[in-house]
Amino acid sequence: MTADNRFEFVKMDETASEHIAAPRYSYWRSVFRKFFSSKVVILMLVIALAITLFSFIQPLFSKFDPTVAQDILDRSKRFLPPSLEYPFGTDHVGTNMFDAVWASCGNSLSIALIATAITTVLGVIVGAFWGFSKKLDKIMIEVYNVVANIPFTLVVMVLMYVIGRGKWQLIFALSCTSWLSTAYFIRVQVMIIRDREYNLASKCLGTKTSTIISHNIMPYLISIIVTSIARDIPNFISYEVFLSFIGVGLDYREPSLGRMVQDYVGYMQTPSAAHLFWIPVCLCALISISLYIVGQALADASDPRTHMI
Amino acid sequence: MANENKEVLLSVQHLEVSFYNNKKRFRAVKNACFDIYKGETFALVGESGSGKTTIGRSIIRLNPTSDGDILYKGKKINGKISKEEQRDLVRNIQMIFQDPAASLNERATIDYCISEGLYNFHLYKDEADREAKVDRALESVGLLPEHKSRYPHEFSGGQRQRVGIARAMIMEPEFIIADEPISALDVSIRAQVLNLMNKFKEERGLTYMFIAHDLSVVRYFSDRIAVIHKGRIVEIAPTDILFRFPLHPYTHSLLQAVPIPDPKVEKSKELVIYDESKRDLSGEKPVLQEIRPGHFVFANDREMKEYEAKLQEWEKAGK
Repeated sequence: MTADNRFEFVKMDETASEHIAAPRYSYWRSVFRKFFSSKVVILMLVIALAITLFSFIQPLFSKFDPTVAQDILDRSKRFLPPSLEYPFGTDHVGTNMFDAVWASCGNSLSIALIATAITTVLGVIVGAFWGFSKKLDKIMIEVYNVVANIPFTLVVMVLMYVIGRGKWQLIFALSCTSWLSTAYFIRVQVMIIRDREYNLASKCLGTKTSTIISHNIMPYLISIIVTSIARDIPNFISYEVFLSFIGVGLDYREPSLGRMVQDYVGYMQTPSAAHLFWIPVCLCALISISLYIVGQALADASDPRTHMI
Repeated sequence: MANENKEVLLSVQHLEVSFYNNKKRFRAVKNACFDIYKGETFALVGESGSGKTTIGRSIIRLNPTSDGDILYKGKKINGKISKEEQRDLVRNIQMIFQDPAASLNERATIDYCISEGLYNFHLYKDEADREAKVDRALESVGLLPEHKSRYPHEFSGGQRQRVGIARAMIMEPEFIIADEPISALDVSIRAQVLNLMNKFKEERGLTYMFIAHDLSVVRYFSDRIAVIHKGRIVEIAPTDILFRFPLHPYTHSLLQAVPIPDPKVEKSKELVIYDESKRDLSGEKPVLQEIRPGHFVFANDREMKEYEAKLQEWEKAGK
């Protein structure tokens, strides 16, 4: 038996080296896996969801109206400490603070969410075209330079005096003043990736600008947009609180966290009624922090660079 | 030369491309003239920053030209053209990019990357037809249909470059501008990509414009070579002629820079560094002149005489 017939030729598989052994990559699955990998983030998500759901559902049952104080003449219902019947106590006119806080929280949240939605949609669309078109840039950059240098509070105050106070007016004023900075933020990001080679390649293939924006630019901006949203929602809550506190936000007919803080700021030093001030302040802080952390975690998770370990 | 009875596919005439930086004008390409014949591989060689990529990009309309004409099959394709002409151009002229990592959309599947051109011109009957086309394109570059749902970052450099080639080939173009298609690749897979390009050339009768800085690759791959230096074409000749009779001093120094795999030769080799400031530039302004049929050199009349003498000496020596 010679060595020759103990060996046989094996055919080489040309395609073997082309196979990819790694498991199939899915963008959104990776985003979720990364997002839910942190326990702190899950806790914050639960807090944010609980507060949001509760502040939108609870007022449906309580039918809280800040202009109605049915227990105003009942002295026994003033300044009650927290109890089972009144979990957050009552104030100087006998208002059930539990109902008031959740109605205010829901109202403040809805203002922040709507303003963020308008700002983001408008800002991203305008920013994308602004970053792409050199002609548009020439005009827009001048507009931005002028508008960005006027103090934000001033613009909102003037707007609120002109169009009146109220929820939708506040949303209008907040969106008006902030969409431009979101657009500018997006414009800068678009300019960074606009001239990358794969966009030139798309141009060579005859792809339209709008398709390049939607297929080549936007997917790269997901994490940036999520970051912007994560920053905007807590910001708008704070703005609303601040504006209502200094008296240009919502008026007395609308419940809001800002108005509550303003109403009860006098009790901050009174030991028996300090909770009237601290409960809305803490709730405001809690929702801002939880939304911010959840947003940041989502922004991180939506960046594919974090998907590779 | 045989070139005379060949059909001119692309003609670049007195092309100028300028870039502006705060009103300061920089001429990246100066008075470039050359013809590319149908079915040949025309190489554009020069150091980085010499304007070779700029010429390629102006042909495919990524860079606006400031002067001169680019004619494709006799029709002007630079400057303002109609939407219809632009559509025809995109289908006929395609580009292969230098960096396969940068030229693919990282957030899109290979399926989308390759079908992008098909989508733009709706070059398929139905979804099944498109998928079949993509499968065929992938197979033709040695990739597998199962790669369709993968993302570019999962591929090796050579595979990505083949995706780039498949993306260009699916448009069934006649003319391909390959902008340093192998310089970002590992040495072991360069030949693979070049052979693939040659395979397509034979199968489909393509014409290539091959932009490169590596003369050893160009020698293997191209039929004619244009040498470009600081935005100016200094010499155009068929490959074998250029390597045998490099007339312009810059061409000469470029050829010298190619390493020869023989330590004895390398040791005794005297490197010629091209320095324009040390050259005798007296006399009138030089222009691109034809010294032998098909062999052009950038020279004035005085230099032409010198080159002529050199050529005759070489030809006599039977080099």
